Amino acid sequence: MSMHTSLRRTAATITNSTTTILPTRLPTQSSGTTFVCSQCRHATLLRRPKRPYTFTQLITLSDGSTFTHRTTSPAPIYRSTRDTRNSLLWNPSSSKLMNVEEDEAGRLAAFRARFGRSFDASAPVVETEAAKDPVAAKQAEADAKAQAKADQEEEDNLLDLISAFGQNEAPPPPEKKTPKFTGKK
Amino acid sequence: MITNPSHYISHRMAAREPSRYLTRALPRASVPSIRPQGFLSRRNVSDEAPARRLSDHFTELESASSLSTTVPNSAAASFDPLARAAARKNQLPRGRYQFRSPKYNRGPLHPHQPPPPSHPSSRLFVPGPFSAPRAEQTFDSTVSPDIMTLCYVHTPPGFKPPPKSARLREWDDSSPYHKNRVLRGPRGGDVLRLLRKPIKFNNIPEIERITIHSYVKNAAAERNSSWLHVAGIAVQAISNVRVETFKSKSNVAPWGIAANRDSVAVKAELFGENMYHFLGKLVDVVLPRIKDWEGVKGSSGDSSGNITFGLVPENVALFPELEINYDMYPPKMIPGCHITLHTTAKTDKDARLLLSAMGIPFYGKIVN
Repeated sequence: MSMHTSLRRTAATITNSTTTILPTRLPTQSSGTTFVCSQCRHATLLRRPKRPYTFTQLITLSDGSTFTHRTTSPAPIYRSTRDTRNSLLWNPSSSKLMNVEEDEAGRLAAFRARFGRSFDASAPVVETEAAKDPVAAKQAEADAKAQAKADQEEEDNLLDLISAFGQNEAPPPPEKKTPKFTGKK
Repeated sequence: MITNPSHYISHRMAAREPSRYLTRALPRASVPSIRPQGFLSRRNVSDEAPARRLSDHFTELESASSLSTTVPNSAAASFDPLARAAARKNQLPRGRYQFRSPKYNRGPLHPHQPPPPSHPSSRLFVPGPFSAPRAEQTFDSTVSPDIMTLCYVHTPPGFKPPPKSARLREWDDSSPYHKNRVLRGPRGGDVLRLLRKPIKFNNIPEIERITIHSYVKNAAAERNSSWLHVAGIAVQAISNVRVETFKSKSNVAPWGIAANRDSVAVKAELFGENMYHFLGKLVDVVLPRIKDWEGVKGSSGDSSGNITFGLVPENVALFPELEINYDMYPPKMIPGCHITLHTTAKTDKDARLLLSAMGIPFYGKIVN
């Protein structure tokens, strides 16, 4: 490879440029050509390529999928806790990965609807979520209203039950769901 | 040969009847000679001698053919080379002659030439590939058909694209000095961009190579080379490739770096299998773990299909190879690096399409 780069040029080139202008030249003077050495006399060492030792490693992603790769790490298995399967940047539509409070039963929303102060009663859902996803915010609001309404109905049913106790053989009412005031998560 | 028809015919006849020469040769002594011997009274020794010798040879031959001899059944039954090889406890000694490549390349005119680097006996031979990386399989099975479909531009049959003007403009011959002058550059700048051809099945953009480059600014600061060693080993660990070091081309006074004196940078070039393993590891494991990482900036790229992004030292430390023996590396010496993804795409837009399909997110204003 270096054979081509190390072409030696002989020092036979003319040093004085003024003589080239003259039409007549002394015959003993060398012409302006450079002699490129076509054969290289030195030898180039052929170095053996150095390659670091690699192991086969099994990578287990966070959702359990696995793949193998070659790596310099000697650990046979690598379990990742954070990867493309559970990061928001790679799953932009995943509601599970977004910063949403878990309110499956609607208890937090019901609490806010009943006891919420002005700062969170007006916006029963988290601001970040409302800012990010208006559809989800609307849905959560509707859920909260429905939950509040259901609670109200349940209370009415209980009052009816007390007033109508023993008058007819009604099946036992469903268990009362008392909202647990666990506070904000 | 074909110009001489008689010769040609005789040759073909000879090929058809191979025994003609044999019949001529066998009873040479009994067949009367074609040459009229009466005219030529001169006789040579060579006229008679070969015929006599030939007949002597034929009389010495055995009449029975060796092919007719029968092989005993026991010998045929015991002939089982596979079982013999399996039953052999020790390996057979290797062949006496083994070619060894010359250690030096002594030029094209030397009689002792090294074999090409693809030959296993060459000193430059690198075996492999040994595995089919996941990212490569993803590219082959999913990404490349998708890109071809996305970039498909339908033209009705018989459509001819409008002719484009030449990129290098001619000089108007308003001046006699325009004769033989080199062509003018393109309008609006001197840079000739790469030509983007329509993407077909044979020029789907793919990742060509990945360069990991790290400039260690402290390499010359403390008069010791430990910074460069740590950077080189860290880059080698994450890339599976031995790094090259480079000297600075410019003086950087605050860091005490002098041009052509201090080795300040390490670089690893990944091709093929290593490249795809690195890309898969980067996308699946490392990049998601970076805190508050938005992605690769959309304006990155050299407008000819190569995208570069950088990782700070904290991000480089997230590679599983550095994590597994994190204590080996002095924490302050873990280098940051620039990662350049070289693709065969001609524009950055195509390269971004490819890389985002391979799992690298982009953010911000997408340029070109």
